[in-house]
Amino acid sequence: MNSDISTLELILDASPSEQMVFLVLLILSVISWVIIIQRRMVLSAARKGVYSFEQRFWSGMDLSQLYKEGTQMQQENLQLVGIENIFRAGFKEFMRLRQQASVDKEAIMEGAQRAMRVAYSREEEKLERHLPILATIGSVSPYIGLFGTVIGIMNAFLGLASQSQATLQVVAPGIAAALIATALGLFTAIPAVVAYNRYSATMDNVTSSYVTFSDEFSSILHRQIHSS
Amino acid sequence: MNNFFNNLIIYNGYPLSVVLALVMHTAVFVAVLYFQSRNEVEALELVQPTIIKALFIDENPQVRNQRLQDQRRIDLQREREREQQRQAEAERQAEAERQERERQQAAERQRREEEQRQAALREREELERLRELEREAQLRREQENRENELRQQREREEAERAERLRREEANRRQQQAAAEAAAAEAARNEFELVQSATGLIQQLVQDNWSRPPSARNGMRAILQIRMLPTGELVDVTITQSSGDPAFDRSAETAVFRAAPFSELQSLPINVFNANFRLLSLIFEPQDLLN
Repeated sequence: MNSDISTLELILDASPSEQMVFLVLLILSVISWVIIIQRRMVLSAARKGVYSFEQRFWSGMDLSQLYKEGTQMQQENLQLVGIENIFRAGFKEFMRLRQQASVDKEAIMEGAQRAMRVAYSREEEKLERHLPILATIGSVSPYIGLFGTVIGIMNAFLGLASQSQATLQVVAPGIAAALIATALGLFTAIPAVVAYNRYSATMDNVTSSYVTFSDEFSSILHRQIHSS
Repeated sequence: MNNFFNNLIIYNGYPLSVVLALVMHTAVFVAVLYFQSRNEVEALELVQPTIIKALFIDENPQVRNQRLQDQRRIDLQREREREQQRQAEAERQAEAERQERERQQAAERQRREEEQRQAALREREELERLRELEREAQLRREQENRENELRQQREREEAERAERLRREEANRRQQQAAAEAAAAEAARNEFELVQSATGLIQQLVQDNWSRPPSARNGMRAILQIRMLPTGELVDVTITQSSGDPAFDRSAETAVFRAAPFSELQSLPINVFNANFRLLSLIFEPQDLLN
């Protein structure tokens, strides 16, 4: 019953069920942080990509030139960001349909728009991947921590029952170890919730700019097809 | 550098994020352990509660036997002691009887001596009583004398006190009469003051009153005026109208024109408060009355 019990000893001396809870929470925390870091990279790349691609797109550059640049980048094994994929899908479909003389103008437009819609939903899916896991971890891990605490306190009181002398020193380590579970749960949940909220806002932002871009691009294509 | 970064995020950045997350968790864990261990160096000295040990001791049969035997031995010893005490008691009684007899004989002898002594004593007592009687008579006479003297003194004091009382009474009555006279004087003074002030106000108001043509005999308006100790007019209210608005208005105008009544400044404040703070004026066409 010496007072210099370290946190590490508390964790190692805890009951197996509590250690299970600790382990689960630790794994959840690692997973949530992997997702947080990975999503951060993906989303910031997408946002930066929207900005830089729109700059290039509206700079008056020839569209087929833009398409060729993208193809070159792909060959250099560089990642293409979302908005460029939408552009490439629409433009490729447009060019392909246009070369077939039998297809009328409306069908060409529809084909290009369909291709862009498909690319858009694929990009959206890429952006929002893993975000539900983050939400789940954020909402569930406090409960897991609470569960561990309840089990730990239960064990502490069971230990108290077997003692004839009820002192604080008998229960205190057990309760302290039990409280570690709650702390871990909160430690896991807080970053997950914050990241989820932040990333879903960013995602909405990026996808709405995708939608705007595909509308604008199809209006350009429309003008081009009807002017010729 | 750019190439290296690209290689890291080549599988959508998963390897990098796994590495970063693991590094972060390790760092946090180490930091928490470090700070916790640092905290424990200055952990509070816990006061150990004193543990009360409650012991239940099982009795050994051998020990109990031993104790029983001891008890029995002690009982026996006590019994023996009591027996000895009883014998000693009997001896003491015999001794006491013998002493009793001896004492009776001695007492007989003593009684006889006592009787002779008492006869002598009685004679002495008789003489003593006679002397006592004489002394008592003497005492009584002295007492009477003293009492007489006391009574005379008391009577004298009584007379003196009565005299003093009478004198005081007379004095007081005189003073009272003087005070009454003074009060009456003051009242008369006040009455005169009030009379003169009222007369003045009447005069002033009357001088300023111009009766309207519609005024008739038997008309009567009562106005209440409020004034300040400086004689200034605060306001005028008609408490009883004459029935003729022109007449009422003329009365009001008269009061306003007569104000301020600066003569009231010379009145003592208590007189003013009692009589002039609120004043009723009666207006009748023949004359002006208070």
